[in-house]
Amino acid sequence: MLDLLNSLFIAPFDYGFMRRAMIAGLALSLAAPPLGVFLMLRGMSLIGDAMAHAILPGVALGFLLAGFSLPVMSLGGMLSGLLVAGLAGSVSQMTGHREDAAMASFFLISLAAGVMLVSLGGSSVDLTHVLFGSILAVNTTALVLIAGISSVIVLAMALMFRALVVECLDPLFLRGQGVRHGLVHGLFLALVVLNLTAGFQTLGTLMAVGLMMLPATTARFWSKRLEGLMAIAVVWAMIASTGGLLLSYHLALPSGPSIIMLAGVGYVFSALLGRYHSLLSKLRRRATPLETGGAA
Amino acid sequence: MRLRLKDLHLAQGERTVLEHIEGTFEEGAVTALVGANGAGKSTLIQAIMGELKPIGGSVECDVPKERRAWLPQQLALDLTFPMSVEELIMTGTWPSHGALLGYCGPHYRKAREVMARLGISHLAHRPLGELSGGQRQRALLGRTLMQEAELLLLDEPFSNVDMETVEVLTEVLRDMADRGTTIIVVLHDLEQLARLADHVLVLAGGHGQWTTPQAILENHHGGSQRHHHAPILSFDFPK
Repeated sequence: MLDLLNSLFIAPFDYGFMRRAMIAGLALSLAAPPLGVFLMLRGMSLIGDAMAHAILPGVALGFLLAGFSLPVMSLGGMLSGLLVAGLAGSVSQMTGHREDAAMASFFLISLAAGVMLVSLGGSSVDLTHVLFGSILAVNTTALVLIAGISSVIVLAMALMFRALVVECLDPLFLRGQGVRHGLVHGLFLALVVLNLTAGFQTLGTLMAVGLMMLPATTARFWSKRLEGLMAIAVVWAMIASTGGLLLSYHLALPSGPSIIMLAGVGYVFSALLGRYHSLLSKLRRRATPLETGGAA
Repeated sequence: MRLRLKDLHLAQGERTVLEHIEGTFEEGAVTALVGANGAGKSTLIQAIMGELKPIGGSVECDVPKERRAWLPQQLALDLTFPMSVEELIMTGTWPSHGALLGYCGPHYRKAREVMARLGISHLAHRPLGELSGGQRQRALLGRTLMQEAELLLLDEPFSNVDMETVEVLTEVLRDMADRGTTIIVVLHDLEQLARLADHVLVLAGGHGQWTTPQAILENHHGGSQRHHHAPILSFDFPK
């Protein structure tokens, strides 16, 4: 029995690439889900997707200039992500165009530009690598970068936490307190971009957002409290990233999709059987007896 | 003088909404803003809060920005956000605590006092999304009490709330005014106008006219009878 458990869960991590991949996954799992929870609560669940496309031209440009150099590609991704977010915000403010429409337009342009740039200077293998990543190819430099970025995000989220909460509920209150309009929102989007640049090496530009959003949307079925949502999302992301890696190892599946698929299975399970808002909870719902103090 | 409007002109986009608005709001005075829908009440409140730049004239306010509180219409809030009543009230400590300082014992004690005063102590840990309209309005007023607001603006605070909440809110607002808070409140109800307001600023046809609650009550049906909870209509405005 112990041998079986060892061969299933421990032995795969005898390999250095698996250990590095696990640590990268855990670091991302600590930083990404809290961002996802706030994106979800702000009704911006699809913005993560848009931003993931927005980093592509920068990553591609970095790749063209310096080959597979993670720091250069990350820097390029960060700059192009921030540029697109800034442009979408500016166009929306200057023209009265809704921000989501401006964002959708810019991310489609970014996707096309990114794919074109990679195709100009590389092969379809390179394109696949950029789009879908390879967590098993994470080297020590990449690991340090991912862990560093994740730490910065966790720290920044801790510092911004109260401001983010207040802004989500009542942005006017925050502005009334002298916090500049758009400051918290802008900083938050910058953290989303930063997280995606850390995630693209491991999961690719397109799937990095999966580890951000799926644990967050899953947590919504299990908790009604903000702290609960964030804790559940982080723990589920850690389980999904480590479990996905093991699945990919044992079943010879691609690692990135395995991680995101496992996170997705959790989402579907929770949507069906979760404690709140799930199909099961809706079927079971009964009025709370008055003695126990239902909402008036 | 807490707040002064000097020949204020306000526009929404390219449409001028209000012109030549004048007025002084004293310490501890409750001013009712009345007018038909679209008369510019919310526009004026936006300008006083510094959210809308005047196209002419000025708003002079000697209350620091962090002591100006704003009780929005409930629809303006995201009530699906997972926050409890106590957490909402604690955000009123922002002027002293900002984004970073931790809360301590005296603040939690004060929050409990505020909740007791508003009759919502038993709801402290309940999510906002599970409250009734009246309970939510009390929680929002709790935040402004926590904020120790010197200037309080309220946009239709009595709409969609129960009678008990109306009583509690009226009592607390009068008490705040007695302690020196300048209050500006959008009202639609004669009863509330009579009980709460010291002055009335009527907005109609893009202009403002100062009057008293008594003048509006006397105008209502010629002053022949008191109509409890009757809406304020445009022909109640003194000519």
